[in-house]
Amino acid sequence: MAESNNEERLNASKSGEIPRIGVYVCHCGTNIAGSVDVKKIVEYASTLPNVVVAKDYRYLCSDPGQAIIKQDVKEFKLNRVVIAACTPTLHELTFSKCVEEVGLNRYLLTIANIREQCSWVHMHRIDEATEKAIEIVRMAVARASLLEPLKVRKVPIRKSCLIIGGGISGIQAALDLAGEGFDVYLVEKNPSIGGHMARFDKTFPTMDCSLCILSPKMADVGHNPKIELLTNSEVIDIKGYVGNFKATILKKPRYVTKDCSACGECSKVCPETAPNEFDEGLSTRHAIYIPFPQAVPSTYVIDRELCLNKEAIVCDKCMKACERKAIDFTMKPETVELEVGTIIVATGHETFDPSELEEYGYKKYANVVTGPEFERILSPTGPTEGKVVRPSDKKVPKRVAFIQCVGSRDEKTNPYCSRVCCMYATKQALLIKEKIPDAEVLIFYIDMRAFGKGYEEFYKRAQKEGIRYIRGRVAEISEDAKSKNLTVRAEDTLLGVAVEAEVDLVILSVGLVPRIETSMLSTILNLSKGSDGFLREAHPKLRPVDSLVDGVFLAGTVQGPKDIPDSVAQASAAAQKASILMSVGEAEVEAISAEINSDLCSRCLICLHICPFNALIYSEGKVEVLEALCKGCGACAAACPSKAIKMKNFTNEQILAELKGVLLGLSTGV
Amino acid sequence: MSVKFWRTPLDSEKVVKPKAEIHIIKDQCKGCGYCIQYCPKKVFEESEEINARGVHPPKIVDEKKCIICSFCTAICPDFAIYVKEKQCKDGC
Repeated sequence: MAESNNEERLNASKSGEIPRIGVYVCHCGTNIAGSVDVKKIVEYASTLPNVVVAKDYRYLCSDPGQAIIKQDVKEFKLNRVVIAACTPTLHELTFSKCVEEVGLNRYLLTIANIREQCSWVHMHRIDEATEKAIEIVRMAVARASLLEPLKVRKVPIRKSCLIIGGGISGIQAALDLAGEGFDVYLVEKNPSIGGHMARFDKTFPTMDCSLCILSPKMADVGHNPKIELLTNSEVIDIKGYVGNFKATILKKPRYVTKDCSACGECSKVCPETAPNEFDEGLSTRHAIYIPFPQAVPSTYVIDRELCLNKEAIVCDKCMKACERKAIDFTMKPETVELEVGTIIVATGHETFDPSELEEYGYKKYANVVTGPEFERILSPTGPTEGKVVRPSDKKVPKRVAFIQCVGSRDEKTNPYCSRVCCMYATKQALLIKEKIPDAEVLIFYIDMRAFGKGYEEFYKRAQKEGIRYIRGRVAEISEDAKSKNLTVRAEDTLLGVAVEAEVDLVILSVGLVPRIETSMLSTILNLSKGSDGFLREAHPKLRPVDSLVDGVFLAGTVQGPKDIPDSVAQASAAAQKASILMSVGEAEVEAISAEINSDLCSRCLICLHICPFNALIYSEGKVEVLEALCKGCGACAAACPSKAIKMKNFTNEQILAELKGVLLGLSTGV
Repeated sequence: MSVKFWRTPLDSEKVVKPKAEIHIIKDQCKGCGYCIQYCPKKVFEESEEINARGVHPPKIVDEKKCIICSFCTAICPDFAIYVKEKQCKDGC
């Protein structure tokens, strides 16, 4: 009985027409034809029910290849097309467009992957591979008979973008999009934008002063009428889909209004102090402070955890000192709802905490500092006003050692290369030489990586200026209790000798690691992370700025370690990608989505909890599918105990037909 | 703002914290305890002595902790506390 039902379905799809299937087998040069007997597949396919024509061609994706398919659709009045070729991720779109051009709905096309799933994995076993390819094609033909035409849906795209993170990447993306006329919301967690770049003294290899090149961009962001800057703010929720995201932002109060002129009189009288985060804790700030002089917005902020005024106003010194009456302790946290069309994630990185590597003695020995700490010591706006000193006695160091790959290229910590440490250590070494010409600088490295434009020349210049590069991983650092000098022990792997050097200061070139907050954001946005914890792009080569979520793009070090030029380039690319979507004004969304039969649904709501895309809602006693959010993964349909959810074009009937196709060989008995 | 730093800031010597000179007019105190309760730095505690009004006036636990917010002066209903900044010539 079941058998005959199936037969009937095979012969007539819901639309009532009799399936007329064309099967096309691609050689893909020798990629497929080298391990599979293509002619045999064609011969076999033409015997399958409903198959009207079967052909093979060297490269089906080529124009002549597509022309054959188009011609046949017209000539043989085909209403289903099966392409036996490579993976659908590569060419499904190509062939969809091809069949659409001759008036066939793109969902009446099915791809049988006989390359990745057959020829490539069964090389040199032609007989078995051909047999498997035949089965794959048989499955596809069985399913093709039951395919139904679906309507490609389009959703409108709002012409506004939410950029999360106000470092150099977020700033660049915001300026680009605002320049193109889109509304931009730039959300930054800290009181000022600027990110890591604002803390650097100079940038390699050009030795530009970092803030000199960054602060004009920061000021532009502050002044641009198209950019709404939300500092001291965090994204707490994002709902919706491409073109129509709803973001909830928590705006923490500054307790200082826009009337602030940044004169600094309040800070002078504030009795409470804490280490300044901007200076890596190497300088002191007050409870009312501005992180650094060029901060944008140029408004002071009160650290309420430090301030004496917890519940009641106990100390009013700052209020008395403020001429403009800009201090307002009654400010409350607020949540802001934003509606945007696209999102750019630019939340950046953190630097590796080397205290877990005990051999380097960080946090144990005062004169072991990290690269970012030393950057602040070098900076004229830093705690020492640019005078190079060591922390223990504030004396000028004469012998300095850098240790490379701390938290990078190390199986114990992170296996990846952080890409910036070789160059930032070289830059810092050159700056030491500039400020202390008689200083001796040693750099202990594993491999020097100078891959960027002008980087190799920069490395050569450092060598010429007398910086000594020693190849070898440092085994141990020990401290002389009295002088606080450090002894670095390593093996020079080029000379094959043990090296021991007594130095005044050790700088650990720490690598880049993903932020904890990014993990939270990836959960909110359903973004995928790589094994290293950085966010994953849609394709490592061809879609390096897209995330796997439509309408969400990645910029800067949130996607992986990179230097400033690469971050800026990726930010501009992400802005451009967002701009394309917003300029077009509408986007196609997947037509293969879930469909609920309310008569069968028992309202158990298992599907709501299981949906990874929050695409199902329960309203007015019914479960509904938000089609724009549904990615057609099928998790809900598989979980539904009442079988009330149907996946369009992945219905139970279609899947069973496929299974039957592979297991029973349909009715042909092969 | 919750980052924990382990070093003493390199500019710590330059940061001058005001040094307080706290004056308690003991016999004016009625022992309400507001100063003890509300001082954000917990500078005061109740003393054991008994003043002219028959109550325990506050005593200073650690004058160095005082950062001269002067909230005690403001809150004292009996005008019994005032704080001045210590004028030290060579750092006291």
